Amino acid sequence: MPGIDMTLVEAMSVHGARGATIVDWTCGFVLDSAGEAWPAGVDATAADTAELARLVRESAAFCAAHDGGEPTTVEDVIVTTGSAYHLICFVPEALEGGVLLHLWLDRESGNLALARRRLRALAEELAQPYAATGAR
Amino acid sequence: MSPAAAIPELPTRASMLLRLAEEGAGGVLERAGGLLYLVDGRVVHAESEAATPLGRLVVGAGRLTEAQWAEALERCGGDSGRAAALLVKDGRLADGALELCRHTALFDAACFALAPGGGAARFRHGVAPEGGLALSVPADRVLAETARRRRLLASLWPGAAMDTQPVLRRTPGPDRPVPSRLRALLDLADGVRTPAELARALGRPAFHVLVEVRRLAIAGLVEPPGPRARQPTAARTGRSPAARSRAPDGFESPDIALLQRVRDALEACL
Repeated sequence: MPGIDMTLVEAMSVHGARGATIVDWTCGFVLDSAGEAWPAGVDATAADTAELARLVRESAAFCAAHDGGEPTTVEDVIVTTGSAYHLICFVPEALEGGVLLHLWLDRESGNLALARRRLRALAEELAQPYAATGAR
Repeated sequence: MSPAAAIPELPTRASMLLRLAEEGAGGVLERAGGLLYLVDGRVVHAESEAATPLGRLVVGAGRLTEAQWAEALERCGGDSGRAAALLVKDGRLADGALELCRHTALFDAACFALAPGGGAARFRHGVAPEGGLALSVPADRVLAETARRRRLLASLWPGAAMDTQPVLRRTPGPDRPVPSRLRALLDLADGVRTPAELARALGRPAFHVLVEVRRLAIAGLVEPPGPRARQPTAARTGRSPAARSRAPDGFESPDIALLQRVRDALEACL
């Protein structure tokens, strides 16, 4: 049942991790950050990440119900650049899903599939009460 | 966190808080908009009438019911910080989720406590919060984030008119699906509730509602602020522009709503 600090420490222990932040994507507020200095600055990066997250999370294209079923939720977004992967993973339930974990991963040394699974687990643990974790 | 950005927008309040932080002061900074508690020069707690309290955030975040929160609060004699800790111990609330709520509550209240136009600040040494948020945040980080939030609001829709007026939804067109988060807000926007009341009802940070109401106004889903919403213009009352009242000097009466928007925009630029 890790807190914010521990979640970032764990995220930074992912192989190839260069930076990690926890961001409130309604307003681009950086709750905490760790790792290297972000090339565009941590606040500017968070502001852009928040815009992207909002666009995706509130988009009918991704979230609308299929064949009359329940509406679905976006779990993460992956941005690939020449030198890096950016994994943007929504924390379920915390503040109505309004918080995301952003991992900046080196493209050469990072393993995208492993990092994505690890980040997903961290996001779930962050919002999971102790009893619920124990009962699993 | 990055080093604090320049804080030109909050000169007097900022300098007072920074001076107190430098001195390592302990006590409470009081302004009309709210209170900021310091211990050793760091911000440990913030309170504001306009902000959403921790308990509402914890319930609004999803997992807990109102009754569970009320029960925990009763067991802790009304201390919301201890009630939240108790729920974590009982395994009904995640430590991480609570930590997110506590940070959110502190910065939400600080934003209103340090808002422009809140009058002079007063510092009382040695006053400790009752049932605080159990955080310790550098004062310059609080100031930088507050300034960033003011800039964000101004960039979306300048002026503070929208912050306190009741929010009235418009009927969306059939071609505009509204995301569920915003739908919940729109459902309560009955023209009576103010953004702060909406935030409490939904258990969301008050600052989030200020941001989202602006976004909804831009999208044409709520009435924009200002006298336009309350005083029908000439066109809406069915009179032709030519029939508008004219002063004895022959000039047409000015469009007050437009002038106020221009004033708000200019003020935001200064």
